[in-house]
Amino acid sequence: MVHVFQYKDHYYIFDTGSASLHECDEKGALLMREKLGEAVDTSSISDTERREYEEDFAALEREGLLFKEEVHVWPPKSDEVKALCLHICHDCNLRCRYCFADEGAYHAERAFMSFETAKRAIDFLIENSGERKVLETDFFGGEPLMNFDVVKQTVYYAKEQAAKRGKKFLFTLTTNGLLLKDDIAEFLNEEMENVVLSLDGRKEIHDAVRKTANGKGSFDLVIQNLKNFVQIRGDKHYYVRGTFTAKNLDFSKDVLFLADNGFESISMEPVVTDLPDLAITKEDLSRICEEYDELCDKYLERIARGKGFNFFHFNVDLEGGPCLSKRVSACGAGNEYFSVVPNGDIYPCHQFAGDPEFRMGSVYEGKLDEKIRGKFKNSCLFTRKKCENCFAKFICSGGCSANNYHFNGDIDEPYDITCEMMKKRVEDGMHILAVTKNRG
Amino acid sequence: MNKIKTIARPADRKVTGCGECRSTCQSACKTSCTVGNQSCERIQRENNPEKNN
Repeated sequence: MVHVFQYKDHYYIFDTGSASLHECDEKGALLMREKLGEAVDTSSISDTERREYEEDFAALEREGLLFKEEVHVWPPKSDEVKALCLHICHDCNLRCRYCFADEGAYHAERAFMSFETAKRAIDFLIENSGERKVLETDFFGGEPLMNFDVVKQTVYYAKEQAAKRGKKFLFTLTTNGLLLKDDIAEFLNEEMENVVLSLDGRKEIHDAVRKTANGKGSFDLVIQNLKNFVQIRGDKHYYVRGTFTAKNLDFSKDVLFLADNGFESISMEPVVTDLPDLAITKEDLSRICEEYDELCDKYLERIARGKGFNFFHFNVDLEGGPCLSKRVSACGAGNEYFSVVPNGDIYPCHQFAGDPEFRMGSVYEGKLDEKIRGKFKNSCLFTRKKCENCFAKFICSGGCSANNYHFNGDIDEPYDITCEMMKKRVEDGMHILAVTKNRG
Repeated sequence: MNKIKTIARPADRKVTGCGECRSTCQSACKTSCTVGNQSCERIQRENNPEKNN
């Protein structure tokens, strides 16, 4: 399929089949839309101009850069397990109102994972990883640093076991930064491939939602820890990950605030909640899309000034990136990636944790519920019918299974609001690609 | 080409499926993952064997 879109006075044609992006002027966009069957007024375009555009379209088509047939191959489905999210602690030292994990407790008793369970989880991963050499483990919570000793022991155990089996572990950890003191920071910097730091942006925005157990805002308690960590982190991977809600639809200001405070890798995610004052609704969408455009302009402006930063969702790698198998496989949750909660129970991913319908087994049992796994294993871009006519499908892969399930009751039924935001971010990402390439 | 400029001209999309790519959920977002902005781990390793092997 071909998608025509506009970013202010820039016009683009994106060919989904070849992943080619072309820039044209308004007349070119109009003619392409006409070609796609839209009723548009092309009376301002002369016959000569029309001929020139038609020649260009034909040349691109001959080169396989326009109207290229989409590859429709189902991905090979392996039984190898690649990654585990270890819920090292179902407790948190913050009480963030929008927390999908029930402020860390996951709708159950607050609990810490024991080293014994963590070891069993690592063994489970290695035993089920087949020929795969590189394995991934994410330390998640709650707040995983509340159970730091187990994090540390688990890392050493996993490395030891990996060395014996010719494997390698990549570790990540997500933290709110409250306990991120020097010794812990040093360990994380040494051992973690990626660290995700939760910070929502401006103090008043962060403090309105991310509160301590006694109801006070946490911004002042975490900001210096996070800044110090990023400083020692150097060029190793990290992301400052914020959440925006209906209360801060001007979230571009929060992203820029983070950039101004020295954070160079930033992700800002729309909240997933049903709290009426924070939830994002259809009515917010046009405002959110405007805000992404605002951010896009500022992002380009900063790149031009040599003050660029990395915004996760604007990275659209058309010329490289993952292979088609990955692009149609969706996220891998429930098949190659699982979550393990403190008692050792296994779920498709962190967002299903604690839901009895999705309990897939336990690291102590060592096997998985194949019925649930089958559902996830057989889910891919092509089982998500809503994605069929979407230009962004090979970039988002059909969205988040958990979001789809929680909003629509089906992992294969994408959630419209998320889709609209995704499409906007992809268009902005493509515009950024074009502008930066044009600048040379 | 007179009127249209090609910005991105990808190589043919392959269906390699070696499975060595990273799990999407390990990335930054945890809720709205974008598979298309990830990289191919195999190519990364080939380009930087010392760091990645």
